[in-house]
Amino acid sequence: MRPSDLIQGTLDVLILKSLATESRHGWAIAKRIQTVSGDVLQIKQGSLYPALHRLEQQGMIRAEWRQNETGREAKFYSLTKAGRAQLDAELSQWERLSAAIKLTLKNA
Amino acid sequence: MQRLLDVIRLRARSLVRAHRADAELNRELRAHLELQIEENIANGMSPDEARRMALANFGGVENVREEARDARGVHVIENIARDLRYTLRALKREPMLLVAAAVSIALGAAGNIAVFSLARAFVLAPPDVREPERLVYVGTSHRSHASYQRWLDLEASGGLEHFAGYSFENEVNWLDGAAAVSIMPMMVTANFFEVTGVPVARGRGFSSTEARAELDPHVVVVSHDFWQRKLAGDSAVIGRRLMLNGASYTILGVLPPHLRGVAGFGISPSVYVPLNKTLLPDFARPNARMVKLLGRLKPEQSLVEGRAAVDAIDRRLARLAGDTLYGGVQDFTLVGGLGSSKMSRTVGVFIALLGVVSLLVLLIACANVAGLLIARGTRRRQEIAIRLAIGGSRGRLVQQLLIEGLWLALIGTAAGLALSLGFMRVVNSIALPVPIPIEVHLSLDHAVFLSAIGLVVLTVVACALLPAIHATRLTLVPALKREEPFYIMRRFTARGVLLTGQVTVSTVLLVTALLFLRNLTRAQVTDPGFETDHALMAQVGFVQGRPDADHSAFLQAAVERIASLPGVDAAAYAAWIPLSTRGSTNGQSARIGDNPNAEHVEFAKHLVGPGYFSAMGIRVSGGREFLTTDGPGAPRVAIINQEFVRRYFRGANPIGQRLRFVDQNGGDIEIVGVVTNGKYITLGEDQRAAMYIPLRQESDGLRVAFLITRTRGEPIPLVKPMRDALGELDRSVSVVVEPMSSALRFALLPSRVGGAILGTLGVLGLVLAAFGLYAIVSYNVSRRVGEIAIRSALGASRGAILRLAIRDASMHVGVGVALGLGISAVVTAPLRTFLVAGLSATDPAAFAGTALVFLAVSVAASWLPARHATRVSPVVAMHLE
Repeated sequence: MRPSDLIQGTLDVLILKSLATESRHGWAIAKRIQTVSGDVLQIKQGSLYPALHRLEQQGMIRAEWRQNETGREAKFYSLTKAGRAQLDAELSQWERLSAAIKLTLKNA
Repeated sequence: MQRLLDVIRLRARSLVRAHRADAELNRELRAHLELQIEENIANGMSPDEARRMALANFGGVENVREEARDARGVHVIENIARDLRYTLRALKREPMLLVAAAVSIALGAAGNIAVFSLARAFVLAPPDVREPERLVYVGTSHRSHASYQRWLDLEASGGLEHFAGYSFENEVNWLDGAAAVSIMPMMVTANFFEVTGVPVARGRGFSSTEARAELDPHVVVVSHDFWQRKLAGDSAVIGRRLMLNGASYTILGVLPPHLRGVAGFGISPSVYVPLNKTLLPDFARPNARMVKLLGRLKPEQSLVEGRAAVDAIDRRLARLAGDTLYGGVQDFTLVGGLGSSKMSRTVGVFIALLGVVSLLVLLIACANVAGLLIARGTRRRQEIAIRLAIGGSRGRLVQQLLIEGLWLALIGTAAGLALSLGFMRVVNSIALPVPIPIEVHLSLDHAVFLSAIGLVVLTVVACALLPAIHATRLTLVPALKREEPFYIMRRFTARGVLLTGQVTVSTVLLVTALLFLRNLTRAQVTDPGFETDHALMAQVGFVQGRPDADHSAFLQAAVERIASLPGVDAAAYAAWIPLSTRGSTNGQSARIGDNPNAEHVEFAKHLVGPGYFSAMGIRVSGGREFLTTDGPGAPRVAIINQEFVRRYFRGANPIGQRLRFVDQNGGDIEIVGVVTNGKYITLGEDQRAAMYIPLRQESDGLRVAFLITRTRGEPIPLVKPMRDALGELDRSVSVVVEPMSSALRFALLPSRVGGAILGTLGVLGLVLAAFGLYAIVSYNVSRRVGEIAIRSALGASRGAILRLAIRDASMHVGVGVALGLGISAVVTAPLRTFLVAGLSATDPAAFAGTALVFLAVSVAASWLPARHATRVSPVVAMHLE
């Protein structure tokens, strides 16, 4: 699936979720989402970086320059407190919505 | 809180250190690429292949950068600054475009600024007073002027903080050296300066204690202009004396230059005198209409509260004065802005009309610029396509093109401001041919300046938005290959719609302008129905006299006295003169002739004396003139004009027939004569019916009467003898004598001024429209060189190609002209009252003339480049593509 096929606003949740366990740089975030989704979701840089910058602007994530395991300089993003709260809120809302959709598709 | 601080910190950093933020993004993107390359290598690709794949998958770098910048939210400001620099450089490279656009906009903007400053000078700007937001014009008891007693009573009532009064309609003689000059002083109540706070530049204004009318004060404050011109700017002016109507007045102060007087409309009296019994012996007479009222609201008192208070008080005062019908407030408006008087409305409508026309001129100018920009956009298709292809966002490009428009608008409007300053200087030096002292002072104040800024915004939107959207909506591949899109095949293109719209707007404007121009030339020769040459007109005012007395004895004596002067052929009196400012019509129910049923008749009613028609030069076509025997005791008689006969007597001979007004108990009136038609209220009116009645049979207390004198030779030498003769007869009446032709200049003024301004705007519009039309049409044709070459190569004759080019242009222009003419017919209908008779609002000459001009321009504009195109060798032309 292309990012444009993603439900509007879903990309932000995916990014927040991928940062829930550890801080990652942009490439790793895209890679993580791609791997976890079994190669279904491929995030293009054209969507990823604007989204990252927007989230940083909103105070959901913060960024710092660090070296990765191979010694390369990269910009690592991690969740802020507000980001974590936002993620929880979005997740529970997503649960409710998808359960409702599932029920509707099964029974309607 | 912490989060808010973070957001602020980030935004600030982005804004202040935009370059650093960009560099950081670059670094981040580079890191991303290299991580991808690393992974590709780990997956077994060669380093070169790994890099190529990574780049290919990365997508538009520029795009990412732009969107990331947008996400940082500072993009807009940063880009505008950069675009301002970039577009100015780009425009400098195209001086022709810059000059053409700037000149177009400058001309359009100058007209608007000038009209706006005119509107401000005449009606919109508040007068120079203290706290104009608390000063109101007050009209009570259905009168424009209140009596002196009413002013005293209102002032004593405490309904408002204060009341002041003024009037500028009287004339006095000022002894300038040896000769007397007639001037119109501002006669004011003693507290005028204290209540209004009109500033005094030198000396002081008079105070309410020293200038009470009862004390017969002999003090005066003079205008700056009067001081400079008539008193030679004498530095010892304070304390000098002026002789007014033979009495000596001490100058207390001088007003500042360019004072906006409280009377509005630029009315600028030379001297301000307190009411006094030397100038106005009867100022305290109970019913005299003495002063217009000004009220000063109490602090915290609203307009509504003030109005209610004055209304209650005036009703009570009117009852006490035995007037149960007319008490109460009719007018209660803040000074400045448009009042509710008829004059305000007329001036307002006229200025609104000017505003609309000048906006139309600006729109034409904008259409020109839009056409130029669209043409340029087409030429820049390749540049724009490249920028879009490498990921420049469309919004960003539109913004840049708009900023280009902003430059053009700024430069053009600035030039327009300079132009209108020149115009203002010219207008300020013109003396208007009006009977009242009017000083127009146009100036560039903050409001005019703000209006110019508004114009810039309007201009940008009007001239740059459409081209910007048009230029960026292109299909990339043909644009990159410099191919023309197949506009030729399409019926509706932005350029075509624009061309049609421009022609429509221009047509409406030019039809209106032409109409006024034709009106102007026609008005000079329109016959008002009476002879204006070799005639003098004296306006006799009985303001100071006995209002309810029968003035006919005085008038008859005056007529006889004047008729005996050498060089006078005939003289007569009348209650009013056609085309002077006081005309009105009557509508009444009347029984006419043998018809038992009453019908509604409408006519201009004239109260005139014996010999009126010969003095006015109106031909009596049947029956007789009025005679001195048609007096109060004699049978009631009337004379009617031919239109009255046509309408109400169905063309039958009315002489000897009778007519009776139903709601008037005067008995039958016998028609004794018929006279030729004339113009009565405006030169442009439809033919009105008119009825003349002997003044002595229906005099109801005249305030003003007119004496008409027909002279054998030039009337000017008789002005003074006539004034002297009237003065000798009765010193209490005020007398103004002038040649009838100059008195009627006032009637022609609206159409003269309107014609001059609209004519100028019209010529401006025509030049702009023709210029723009030519540019767009010839550009459209020149884009078709390739097509034309193919057609000639396939054997099309030159004539066929020329016809094709002309037909295409004419179609767009023709539709525009047709639309424009249709709209004009509707728009110009309300202008009828300004037009002279014989000129309808759908004047064929004006309409056809406009249509012809446009079609001629469009034929020329398509023919010349098409002819040129047919001469280009097909091979050369095809290579141009």
